[in-house]
Amino acid sequence: MTTAAGAPGELAVVARGLVKRYPGAEQPALAGLELEIRAGETFGLLGPNGAGKTTAIAILATLLRPTSGGVRLFGLDPGRRCQEVRRLIGLVPQEIALYPRLTLAENLAYFGRLHGLAGAALKTRVDECLAMVGLESQGKRRVETCSGGMKRRANLAAGLLHRPRLLFLDEPTVGIDAQSRHVIFENLERLKTEGMTVLYTTHYMEEARQLCDRIAIVDAGRVVALGTPADLLAAQPECRDLEQLFLRLTGRHLRD
Amino acid sequence: MGAFFATLRKELLLLRRDRGGLALLFLMPLVLVLVVSLVQDNVLKLTGEGSIEVLLVDRDGGPAARRLVDGLKESGAVRLVETAGDAEGEAEARRRVAVGDYPFALVIPAGLGAELERRAAALARRAFAADEAPEDDANPLELAVYFDPAVQGAFRATLVNALRRASLGLEVAEKGRQLGEVLPRQVAEQMGQALGPYRNLPGAPAPPVVTFSWQDRELLAVRTEIAAGKIVAQPDSVQQNVPAWTLFGMFFIVVPLSGSLLRERQEGTLQRLLSLPVSGLPLLGGKLAAYVLVGCAQALVMLLVGRLLLPRFGTPILQFGGDLPALILLVLACALAATGYGLLIGTLVRSYEQAAMLGPVSIVLAAALGGIMVPVYAMPPAMRSLSALSPLAWGLEGFIELFVRRGDLARIAPQLASLLVFAAGCLGLAWFVFARRRSGGR
Repeated sequence: MTTAAGAPGELAVVARGLVKRYPGAEQPALAGLELEIRAGETFGLLGPNGAGKTTAIAILATLLRPTSGGVRLFGLDPGRRCQEVRRLIGLVPQEIALYPRLTLAENLAYFGRLHGLAGAALKTRVDECLAMVGLESQGKRRVETCSGGMKRRANLAAGLLHRPRLLFLDEPTVGIDAQSRHVIFENLERLKTEGMTVLYTTHYMEEARQLCDRIAIVDAGRVVALGTPADLLAAQPECRDLEQLFLRLTGRHLRD
Repeated sequence: MGAFFATLRKELLLLRRDRGGLALLFLMPLVLVLVVSLVQDNVLKLTGEGSIEVLLVDRDGGPAARRLVDGLKESGAVRLVETAGDAEGEAEARRRVAVGDYPFALVIPAGLGAELERRAAALARRAFAADEAPEDDANPLELAVYFDPAVQGAFRATLVNALRRASLGLEVAEKGRQLGEVLPRQVAEQMGQALGPYRNLPGAPAPPVVTFSWQDRELLAVRTEIAAGKIVAQPDSVQQNVPAWTLFGMFFIVVPLSGSLLRERQEGTLQRLLSLPVSGLPLLGGKLAAYVLVGCAQALVMLLVGRLLLPRFGTPILQFGGDLPALILLVLACALAATGYGLLIGTLVRSYEQAAMLGPVSIVLAAALGGIMVPVYAMPPAMRSLSALSPLAWGLEGFIELFVRRGDLARIAPQLASLLVFAAGCLGLAWFVFARRRSGGR
């Protein structure tokens, strides 16, 4: 178990010249990605489909090794101190990464046990996390019978069980209603006040503007713009909002 | 160990709630055992023709023995494999049958031809009351057939019938030949004595009537005996089918297991698991242990069906043999092999369609090759060679060894080793494919 808050000015994520080539792919998924995320920051990673956002998160979350380049999380090299790094991070994947035939509570209890929780502490933490996402009365419900919004919220809760210092959120609000999105937003705001570092990918520009301290727009595997939403808009006065800025930087052609 | 037990508990919970998977794992083999055991006996009788391998020990080596062998070959029911025609050859043939290398051995005794000729000639003479000597050869000569108790009775009957036909042909030929020699001599002699100088006159009496009813008298009998010299359990459809379909059901664990692995990959849970501070070993071990436990539970249920339920339908009771620890180890090794294979399939496939196709089809093929549907000894030689590659054949051979031949741990050691090596190979290959994909990111 870790605490979320970090030392002032500490860097949570440092990625230098990240390159990832998948076998058989014509273009690299990442082509020299550079990132620095400060501890306690909520950082948005925006980009069109295929820009490399999910690959970047997979590398930062120790699921993939880069073809070249280096990563440090809280100063630790994930290649050498993988288990230490994994204790510091939480992952909320794009998919609903829960077992459909288990109840919400059983899912959280299982992942909690894998984080080393047990007994009363486990039960308390499962209840807390369910309550955090508004599912306190739904713990005995099987995931397969839950609505899309409930599943998304439970997916977030599973990533928070061990109080990670750095949370990776890969499009956590896809396909859910306004109410569930609101609950997720509230939680992310609260986590931010608690000092948790969040790396957030989304296609919703308004979400990013509201939630993120800084934003990186990536395209073709590299960062094409980086800064606070206000600074980015100020640098492009002809763009009314982030969406216009995004289209200007990444183009209007489809990325199917 | 926390991660191991957490995963074990999670997997058992998931399996308990998978009604379709449970039906596949427990109901399907149960129905198969019940139905197939009750109806298969006649099917086996029909399928054995021409495929029974028999070790031949010809200790006589004469023309009569050769005619007998030719008659057997002509019957088309057996395939003869000749070995040395001496006492050592006979002992070796009996040993090879006893250990299950061959289902049968046929021994033609030394001096068979000469004795057959002598007895046929005596009978022919006796038909005319020319030989007044007392019957000192009332017991027929014996052709010995040694058999493996694991061989179905239908196949034994096929061989014995073919042998009886061949020996009858030989008898008839020998009797006919002897009669042909004795008949003219006896007729002339009797007529000469009765008529004296008038035997050539018109109206002289006709030659005496000769009866051939003695031709039906059996001169050769067939003796069958279990090669190992002791009866443990009669080879029947229960002893064959219960372990066979139990194994089939155990290997069908590939379906829920590969589905579970695929779901974890496609639904993101694997991604979440891999991001946790837990090594892959307890996660994989917990999953394997859950499925191995299910495999053992399957075996227990099916063996109890053979022991308690099938006899209620009038079948013989399933005999477990005398070595319970060996049986437990064999069940465990089979469950491990099945689970390892399921893990490999689940790692190789990329879609539910592939899993639904590759898993069951490969199991049915392995079962067919492994003697689940038709015993291995009844297969053509080429298929028999292929059957040695099927893990179901190893498992079934182990069960038959324990249940029918009263084998022990030492006797099933080769099967145990094969199953465990297979399980380890599947796990190693699955791990290699998984690690390779992870490093490639696909």
